[in-house]
Amino acid sequence: MSFIKTYIERQTLNRRTMLLMSAYGLFGAAATAGLRPGPARAAASNGPRIAWSYRDRTNPYWNAIVSGGNAFVQSLGLPQSALINLINEGSSEKSLSDIQSLLARYGSGVALAVDPNDMPNCRPVVEAVSKAGAYVSTIWNKTDDLHPWDFGDHYVSHMTWSDVGPSEQTARVLFDAMGGKGGVVHLGGIASNNPAIERLAGFRNALKAYPNIQLLAVQAADWDTQKANQVMSGFLTRYGDSIKGVHCASDTMAYGVIEALRAEGIEDMPVVSYDGNPQAVELVTKGKILATVFTNPYWAGGITASLAYYAASGAFKPSAEPHEHREFYGPTTLVTTKDAQDFKARYIDTNPQYDWKNFWALARGQIRYG
Amino acid sequence: MFELVNVEKRYMGVHVLKGVDFRIDDGEIVGLVGENGAGKSTLMKVIYGAVQHDAGTLLVDGAPVSFRSPRDAMKRGVGMVYQEQSLIPNLTVMENIFLGFEKPFVRFGAINWKKMAEAARRQLAKVRLDIDPGTITARLTFAQRQLVELAKVLALEERVEGKLVILLDEPTSVLSRDEIELLFSVVRALRHRASFIFVSHRLDEIVALSDRIYVLKDGVVVDVMEAKGADISAIQKKMVGRDINGEYYREDRQAPYDPDRVLLELDHVEIAGQGNDISLTLHAGEVLALVGVEGSGREPILRTIFGMLRPDRGTLRIRGEPVHAFSPAHSVAHGVGYVPRERKVEGIASGMNVFENMTLPQMRNYSHAGVLDIRAERDLAREWIGKLSIKVPSEYADCGNLSGGNQQKVVLAKWRSSGSEIILLDHPTRGLDIGAKEDVYAMIRDMSAHGVGIILVADTLEEAIGLSHTIAVIKDGEIKKWFSCQPKAKPSLYDLIQYMV
Amino acid sequence: MNRFLATDALRKWVPLLVLVGLCLFFTALNPNFLSLRNFARIAISSSPALMVAIGVTFVILMGSIDLSMEGTVAVCAVVFALILNALGGTIAGRGWVALPAALLVGAALGAINGIVHVKLRIPSFMASLSLGFVGIGLSLLITGGDRILIDDPPFRSLLTVRVEGFPLMAYAALACLLVAWFIQDHTTVGRNFYAVGGGEDLARASGLNVGRLRIIGFVLAGVFYALGAIFAVARLGIAETETGRNFMFMSITSVVVGGTALRGGEGGVWNTLVGVLIVNVIGNGMVVIGLADYFQDGVLGLLVIAAVYLSTDRRSLSFVK
Repeated sequence: MSFIKTYIERQTLNRRTMLLMSAYGLFGAAATAGLRPGPARAAASNGPRIAWSYRDRTNPYWNAIVSGGNAFVQSLGLPQSALINLINEGSSEKSLSDIQSLLARYGSGVALAVDPNDMPNCRPVVEAVSKAGAYVSTIWNKTDDLHPWDFGDHYVSHMTWSDVGPSEQTARVLFDAMGGKGGVVHLGGIASNNPAIERLAGFRNALKAYPNIQLLAVQAADWDTQKANQVMSGFLTRYGDSIKGVHCASDTMAYGVIEALRAEGIEDMPVVSYDGNPQAVELVTKGKILATVFTNPYWAGGITASLAYYAASGAFKPSAEPHEHREFYGPTTLVTTKDAQDFKARYIDTNPQYDWKNFWALARGQIRYG
Repeated sequence: MFELVNVEKRYMGVHVLKGVDFRIDDGEIVGLVGENGAGKSTLMKVIYGAVQHDAGTLLVDGAPVSFRSPRDAMKRGVGMVYQEQSLIPNLTVMENIFLGFEKPFVRFGAINWKKMAEAARRQLAKVRLDIDPGTITARLTFAQRQLVELAKVLALEERVEGKLVILLDEPTSVLSRDEIELLFSVVRALRHRASFIFVSHRLDEIVALSDRIYVLKDGVVVDVMEAKGADISAIQKKMVGRDINGEYYREDRQAPYDPDRVLLELDHVEIAGQGNDISLTLHAGEVLALVGVEGSGREPILRTIFGMLRPDRGTLRIRGEPVHAFSPAHSVAHGVGYVPRERKVEGIASGMNVFENMTLPQMRNYSHAGVLDIRAERDLAREWIGKLSIKVPSEYADCGNLSGGNQQKVVLAKWRSSGSEIILLDHPTRGLDIGAKEDVYAMIRDMSAHGVGIILVADTLEEAIGLSHTIAVIKDGEIKKWFSCQPKAKPSLYDLIQYMV
Repeated sequence: MNRFLATDALRKWVPLLVLVGLCLFFTALNPNFLSLRNFARIAISSSPALMVAIGVTFVILMGSIDLSMEGTVAVCAVVFALILNALGGTIAGRGWVALPAALLVGAALGAINGIVHVKLRIPSFMASLSLGFVGIGLSLLITGGDRILIDDPPFRSLLTVRVEGFPLMAYAALACLLVAWFIQDHTTVGRNFYAVGGGEDLARASGLNVGRLRIIGFVLAGVFYALGAIFAVARLGIAETETGRNFMFMSITSVVVGGTALRGGEGGVWNTLVGVLIVNVIGNGMVVIGLADYFQDGVLGLLVIAAVYLSTDRRSLSFVK
């Protein structure tokens, strides 16, 4: 059955991103042209061209990733526009073909940061880059049998996040707030997405420790605010007052849940979420959300580009680094009502000045498989 | 020999065919006449298998058969030449002829086009049509298409045993005189191959072509007569069940028009793309008929007057005012109304009710600041339903469900009630039965009496002669001859035809 | 003949019967479905969709199609939120200007849509689809991908204040529906939409300015999309590019399920109300009966096909394209 689910998920994803990003493509044709470095700019920098390949910019997460990338290029004394944006619109084919045309144009002088969109797409991307003699760092999507060290220096690094542990933490915060008893519902992401699976797994782990918490329902709301709003309304009809807490797999869905509760005049329902978006952190400070998990996309966006860039410029030799510097987990920070105020001041209101050469400052150890 | 014995059919509780007996011998041409609603089309459908009869028997050469679909009927040699032509316009002639029967030409899954073209040429030769079978059907004239349809049915010959029975449903309605003659000669020449059932509203054609004539009224065969020496008015009487008014076109009501009030004037107008030079004048109360063969250029003149075409040269004056803006909206605002030939396309909005159709061109008069006065609209509709005795359950009836005659009355009421003074009638009686035609003729007289000027493109020459004050004979886009048409001093068919061809 | 008339009359009511049938079905599986509180929830999710669907109903009545709603809703939502926040953040103050401003933006986008379609003679399908993308791009450009929060209690009262168990939003939507019904049945413009949809040649031959009418239709649609955007913002308190998401499928489906013919000239806003309710009842009901989530999209699709099968008169269609 899983291939069907994958198919459905990709259709859903593609339709949405196709719509959104075709618009961006149409409207932003001029803008994209502007983002590519012209001859004048090329003269200003002698180093490798830096590119970020990602899904789209409508979603706060990717928006933060790109902001980090921009901050990194600025740290090199280059204008923001020196960062080449390759938007794959949720299509692996487009992701690969954009990267190939970039390589065809600039050859080995490319430092590429990329989320390959899905796991199988990682290999052709990495192979294309390494064949061209350019440098690539990846995040999120990679098959388990593919490793940077098998490509010498050209596949610089891979970063991903393990969501099981942090998700279990938010669940514990939620269950404690519920007094360790009562009914709970979980709103998940697109069912076959890896983060959705891990966040649900973490939630289930926490349940084992709380025998008096009753799991009422688990339902996918596709990371979508409106869908989550509708699903929550349905839950209220189905379970009514037995719902004592809501576990959401992302901030965007939590917004929909909170509004569905507000429509019913319910203001004090414990809700936890994930991702640490600015709006969610704001809600944590107000106690509307009890906890969220910050994955620091800003840092991830900057450091991934930085790794590829400095490997390309020869500042460090990836093959000389240990495995834990080639495949590592990204940072996860639990934000709760206690520290939200402080956290907000440090990470949201301003972006901390990161040292982009301190590549593994926030890394959380080597990736474990199985 | 093909025979129907005591055939019965009920549709939704309505008794459409009541014990019909019908026989056609090999090589015979049988005419079938009846008013709209007499059951003609149901009878035809039973014969070619489109509907199944409830009781009675179908016999082919004395053996009972049952047709569950037109394809069944075709297998027994019964084919239909459709009135609404059934050819697919974007396919070639040969593809149309063998549509659904491509099998003999298929080898290894591919069609042998050469073989098919040859076979198609053989079929076309039967109907004396000398065209390339690879021609796209849309490029053919209506008459040619009709012959292709016939050839398509004749192709059955090679596939079935025994003689064919071919149904011709109103085959002449879109053809010109010459083309009708051609069709008839083809049909006569084909008698040794097939027998024909010929349905038409034009009784003169029926009498001319058929051997025997079946008259159908209210689902019953009221008479079967030999065509030789048959009297048209006698047939009409049988069909309608009463005497047809001798003054069919209401010539007694034809009053002289007002020569001093000119409503419309075309002054050396060159119709778009025709390179012609048309001048005419329409007076209050005048019925001006444009007469000519199909394609002689009558329609473009109507469309120019209605503003759908912009003339290349010359002046068009409405009540003395030259027209500069050519659009239907402008023409309607200046009191021009248009009753199109394609009633379903341009005349009636199906899905809209009677009052909505009537007020469509004159909503300004039934609204304040864009808000409709529906009560006034309904009053108007009720008034005209009464005046023209339109048969509808209420003013809320969907016009798409009305009979042709009642639809035409609604269209005429629409322009009359909006105060149009110049009315363009394009085949206003097309497809109507005799009773409805009489009503339309009476309405034309009424309008004329009220000082409305009418330009008429009639369904038949007789109609043009009977109704008009003035006739312009048109050939190749030019007006060849003018006739004055005073009652008792009307020109004959022959007078007109010699200028038409 | 009589039986034909009977089935025709019956067919008119099929969408409503489908709606009632669905309600009974869901109630049978979970009695909680049939409660005032749940109906209020359905009303909340239906209100924005109803506005958008009414807008596209006008265009479909003319026999055209408008697929620009996702872009238009996104732009209107974002512009509304920006103006509201810039002018003091509450509609009780100067912020009320945001309401007419959003409607104006919707009308302007509709006008562009109609003009491109009519004057450049681009099929409405392509013109509106492309302009929808432009709208999404525009809203992205305005927001830079960010969300704009609206936390104005007077404005959010559309969601939070209830009368007789239903939120104000439901009454506001009902009022807009009545206005749409008035436009449809009691104005020359509405009548002309039917005429154009019933037969464009006929409308032209009756002296109507068909091009102008089409543009008016798209403008009207744009205004209703803007209303939809305002309700959508009121529902979630967030204006972003994603606000427009899903409205295309939702609204076109609702219009068709409600029994309005895609070829134009038949149906109307009441059909659309029933259609929107059907789609939202299905969405709500599937959660309420606890249908496994990976079935839900598939079941929604099947139910939509079933509803269209029951509610459209295919007797008159020889070919279905």
